[in-house]
Amino acid sequence: MTRIVLVPGCWALLPRFASSIDPVADLRAACDKALSWLGEAPEIVADGVGHEVAAALLDARTTSSTEAGRSVLVVANGSACRTEKAPGHLDPRAEGFDQLIGTALRTPDPGALRAVDATLAAELWADTAVLPALADLLDGARTLDVGYDAVPYGVQYWVVRWEAR
Amino acid sequence: MLRLGRHTFADDQALMMAIVNRTPDSFFDRGATWAEDAAFDRVTQVVEQGAEIVDIGGIKAAPGAEIGVAEEKARVVDFVARVRSAFPELVISVDTWRAEVADAVCVAGADVINDAWGGADPELVDVAAAHDVALICTHTGGVTPRTRPYRIDYADVVQAAIDDTVAYAERALRAGVARESLVIDPAHDFGKNTFHSLELTRRLGEMVATGWPVLVSLSNKDFVGETLDLPVGERLLGTLAATSVCALAGARIYRVHQVVETRQTVDMVWTIAGRRPPARAIRGLQ
Repeated sequence: MTRIVLVPGCWALLPRFASSIDPVADLRAACDKALSWLGEAPEIVADGVGHEVAAALLDARTTSSTEAGRSVLVVANGSACRTEKAPGHLDPRAEGFDQLIGTALRTPDPGALRAVDATLAAELWADTAVLPALADLLDGARTLDVGYDAVPYGVQYWVVRWEAR
Repeated sequence: MLRLGRHTFADDQALMMAIVNRTPDSFFDRGATWAEDAAFDRVTQVVEQGAEIVDIGGIKAAPGAEIGVAEEKARVVDFVARVRSAFPELVISVDTWRAEVADAVCVAGADVINDAWGGADPELVDVAAAHDVALICTHTGGVTPRTRPYRIDYADVVQAAIDDTVAYAERALRAGVARESLVIDPAHDFGKNTFHSLELTRRLGEMVATGWPVLVSLSNKDFVGETLDLPVGERLLGTLAATSVCALAGARIYRVHQVVETRQTVDMVWTIAGRRPPARAIRGLQ
């Protein structure tokens, strides 16, 4: 069995950018809960600083699974253009873009994830470069739960767990 | 670790010491907290504002009517007991140079003796040791308590402040005061003209480098007023500017009239210095 978790590449999750009041406490808690279900040394599928986010979250997790099997941690998130205050400012195309990905993650629908428009993703400041790799992992997988699905600072984050044979 | 009587603090923590005057004539509040209930209300207010320490004084620093031991005790001892019982978590400091007064306030619950007059009473260290309280060792250049500076000069005011306060701290250590309960204070304006106080501010890092925790008492003082040509009621911004410089150098305790403003200033500088995280940073990190 393969255990797959998706978390966002949010830099506020990194220890080097820690505040005394955690601005992403709910997100962090959701990440920790999902990561505790993964095995001791998951494979990481990420881009750029996403690797550091994955390593930091794994380092900080409270527990891990001892069951045999493959574990994969994927780092990606939706657009950064959902509100006026969002990093990329409000883009009316962002909500539909994120909904499409959100549905593809929940289903899961690997074909839809492979078909995400990379040009539009770049315009919407989305961190989706690893979605094709995630799609490959999700062939024949089933969604266990969506632990987080929100746009707290104008950026779309998801925390999702899947199980594949 | 810094230990102030019953209370301990980590070395990366900056502390606010709020001034509470049980005097009818101190320069800043001009008797506003002379009545015991008014002074108690002031304590309540500064506790709500987050001050870790109150510094209770029964005699104004400037010259004036002679206040004897009995009168000083009448002003502060029962008041310390009242504050101790109402605020068990609060550090109580008493601003006195007299060993007899210090002994009485320690029995009443004081945690710190703030000897603003630099060891004028040689027995003060023994009292601090006997009660295991903290002692603030200040530099006054050897002047008599409650006198103003007049044509005092130093070859090097910072070195003089370091030499005297460190010697005082070492004397206290020999008398039995705990090492983690000794604090040094250059005492701006005490035995100093404005140029001296400015230089102490500019070179405060040299005092911090001694390794003893440093207290600064800058609040609304004459060196601020003379620097900006402003009267007592208009020195807050100048005080905070001087506070920033001392905070960057690493001063640990700030003896202040305005707790909220000073806390914000020190928190900001402490964070710039990398000693405190931002309260809540998300800009650019989403």
